Amino acid sequence: MYDTFVGLEIHIHLLTKSKVFCSCKAHYGDEPNTNVCPVCLGYPGVLPVLNEEAIKLAYVVAQSLNCRLSPRTLFERKNYFYPDLPKNYQISQFSDPVGENGFIDVPLAEGVTKRIRIHDVHLEEDAGKMIHAGDMSLCDYNRTGYPLLEIVTEPDLSGGEEAEKFLQYFQRLVRYLHVSDGNMEEGSLRCDANISINKTGGGLGTKVEVKNLNSSRFVRKALEFEFKRQSAQFEAGTRIVQETRLWNENRDVTESMRSKESSHDYRYFPEPDLPPFVPSADFLRLVDSLQVELPLARRERLKTTWGLSAEQADFVSESKTLADYFETTAKASGQGASVANWLMGDVQKELKHFDLTLEASPLSSARLAQLVTLLESGRIHIKIAKQLLIAVFEENKDPETLVKEKGWEAITTESQLQPILEKVFTEHSGVVEAIRAGDQRQKGFLVGQVMQATGGRAAPALVNQLLAKALG
Amino acid sequence: MAKLEDSWRRFSEKSASYTAYAKAWEAKIGAFLSFNPQYKPTSTSSAPSGDSPVAGLPFGVKDNIAVVEFPLTCGSKMLEGLTSPYTATAVQKLIDAGARPVGKTNLDEFGMGSSTDNSALGKTNNPWDVTRVAGGSSGGSAACVAAGQVPFALGSDTGGSVRQPASFCGVYGLKPTYGTVSRFGLTAYASSLEVIGVLAKSVGLTRAVYDIIKGEDGNDQTSLKSEPGPARPVRKIGVLKNLTGLAPGVETIYRESLATLKKLGYTVVEVELPTLEYAVSAYYTIATAEASANLARFNGIRYGLRPEYAENPEDLIRKARTAGFGDEVKTRILLGSYVLRSGFQDQYYTKAQKVRTAIRRDFDRIFEEADVFLSPTFPTTAFAHGDTTMTSFQQKLADKFTVTANLTGQPGLSFPAGLADGLPVGLQVLAPVFEEGRLFEVADRFAEAVPPADCPGTSLDWSL
Repeated sequence: MYDTFVGLEIHIHLLTKSKVFCSCKAHYGDEPNTNVCPVCLGYPGVLPVLNEEAIKLAYVVAQSLNCRLSPRTLFERKNYFYPDLPKNYQISQFSDPVGENGFIDVPLAEGVTKRIRIHDVHLEEDAGKMIHAGDMSLCDYNRTGYPLLEIVTEPDLSGGEEAEKFLQYFQRLVRYLHVSDGNMEEGSLRCDANISINKTGGGLGTKVEVKNLNSSRFVRKALEFEFKRQSAQFEAGTRIVQETRLWNENRDVTESMRSKESSHDYRYFPEPDLPPFVPSADFLRLVDSLQVELPLARRERLKTTWGLSAEQADFVSESKTLADYFETTAKASGQGASVANWLMGDVQKELKHFDLTLEASPLSSARLAQLVTLLESGRIHIKIAKQLLIAVFEENKDPETLVKEKGWEAITTESQLQPILEKVFTEHSGVVEAIRAGDQRQKGFLVGQVMQATGGRAAPALVNQLLAKALG
Repeated sequence: MAKLEDSWRRFSEKSASYTAYAKAWEAKIGAFLSFNPQYKPTSTSSAPSGDSPVAGLPFGVKDNIAVVEFPLTCGSKMLEGLTSPYTATAVQKLIDAGARPVGKTNLDEFGMGSSTDNSALGKTNNPWDVTRVAGGSSGGSAACVAAGQVPFALGSDTGGSVRQPASFCGVYGLKPTYGTVSRFGLTAYASSLEVIGVLAKSVGLTRAVYDIIKGEDGNDQTSLKSEPGPARPVRKIGVLKNLTGLAPGVETIYRESLATLKKLGYTVVEVELPTLEYAVSAYYTIATAEASANLARFNGIRYGLRPEYAENPEDLIRKARTAGFGDEVKTRILLGSYVLRSGFQDQYYTKAQKVRTAIRRDFDRIFEEADVFLSPTFPTTAFAHGDTTMTSFQQKLADKFTVTANLTGQPGLSFPAGLADGLPVGLQVLAPVFEEGRLFEVADRFAEAVPPADCPGTSLDWSL
């Protein structure tokens, strides 16, 4: 009955060592006002100097989003007064951003993707933070001048759920590209949403902007709230006002912040302190070399190359680090599905138990490959394999070494197993008699005894085979 | 060069006499907002500065240019009490060459004006006649050089702010090619127009200082390496065909100077500059637009004037800016905000940029017809404090000879050409970008024929 049009404006902090226009450290969580200098504090006479790493990462993102890359990108001043913005203008981009007219294919369900168009990608500087304490307002300028990349989508999303999925996928994408840590809690990924609704087929309606969305869940909830609010207005015949609203996470509602009439006139004009940036052929080659297989493409390839299930592929492609780890392990062991299962099950369990990340754990991909190979070649059994995994975590040694040290290799030859079998027969002659008399139920008991005597190392198939032979 | 060094050595031995001399003049002219001849600058260079032509020389710095530990007031109540946390590149280069900044000179607030009477922090008089202004906005720098308090000073030129006071005070004033001198440390008024310039008592010293301060700077991405064409002597001097509106004294000196230049062997050719009548409008549109953003940083929060009480941050900003800025500054911020409004940019800002391009084309043509372009620096000599014969608007129109070089980025030099009723008259010579050499050449030849007059009461010989 209604069409909903949602567009997102996403800001990400780029992963650079220093700020975008000065050499101050770009680091989250430091003492207030320790990462500042005359330039980012906007002292009289200072000038911005463009951070080459930041502009490089901006182009990397724009290319990965299939944008037309600007051959001559311009910086402009966006003028507005706010205490946490030292110069009271933000160096941003407007008429010629880094990238324009791109798109991204986003997975919505198994086998279903949607193409979301990207309006533009532009580089700017972040503002500081203002903290209100009692009757005081305090400013922290550590964040001032962080390189901030804004990605603006076209209104191609159909509502809160799609927006949430888009955002989650986008977060994975920037982490894959290693351009941002994409952390919404720390504000290194921030999102504003535009929503308009209209009678089906009526085209775009009146645009309402929603701010203060600190998680992808809030994006969904706020948009769902807005859909209800705006459709109720439609039903009641009330005109929808073009305005900016804030999400109130305590009350689960959006609240009006300012109307269009009181919106800023940013008075954009070209930044006279920065010449246009013209990417060289070398620069563009470098940007190209930093492209990676995007999460969706990788997931699909992992499925076909390694025969992973949808669930396994989802898990393994969650981060690029994990996907890389998986593929190295799978190549070394020749086992895709098995490696995926280990990663999803026991490896997760032990990482949690030892409170480690995969990268920081003693379980290198070579070690996991060794373990899987030992198991799949029958040199150890599944139970031993699980013990071995724990031993790798505890002792930080290679699985091969541990198996040798602990004598965990499976007993797979008749000559090794026969004496043990005979010993068990001697100890349990009564049971042997009973089986021979026809009580097949007792056979399991003898298998158990053999396993116990070998510390679980006996190959079960061989045990059964030898038992059958001995007992007729 | 040797003469200068010797002259400084004399004064370093008797620094008390230097200080006494400088202070005696200071009481009459008020060139400085802060003066500290004992200032010990820190050099960042390990190379000995002994051979440098400025080694040991004291110099003045316009108080919109940063020198660490000195105040940086920009002649505004807004920044009274601010001490600079850093040093401008141009100043540091001079320090590394062995020169010593001794004080910060008065100016029109944030460089906005042509009399220095717009300073909120002090009154500067013309050393030739203390009832008159020193010009502006680098009035303090021009006055202190004319009075011999320092052999040279740095100023900044956004629309003529070095050349016009140089003309009023009878000294040399160089506005270099845009970008050849780093702006790092120069408080921005109109970033795309302005450049740090030199005021000095001789052509030689002007050139020596320029050679030291020029060069690309990693802290200023608009800075450039000066790349002049092959050196060749100046032969043709272009002058305006229909030049009107000059004060009689200026007109006389101008005509006499043309005769002198012809006698020196130059060919004077008449050229046309049809875009001249739009120059001032284009200049003020661009300058005020940029100023409206550049001056937005002064909000009383991180430094500068701060009201005793404010309801909230917005109230604090409003009160600080209301009390901190003078009327001329407020007018220009308002004008600039007006021309940048969304929907009005094509009418003003974009159109001004088109005029700028048209003026550049006019000058490209002129420099095919002539090697340099010559005109009076300003239509009048120094006017009296509080003179109301020219309204603020008429004063702006009088900037027409100087603003073109800021719009085109070309270099300009004002040189003393004579006296009219006892007051200095300066002529301005312009050249294509990077061709400062042509300016020095013409000014040097002219000085051989008409040596610049010393201001009465100056007794120190700082000249090269």
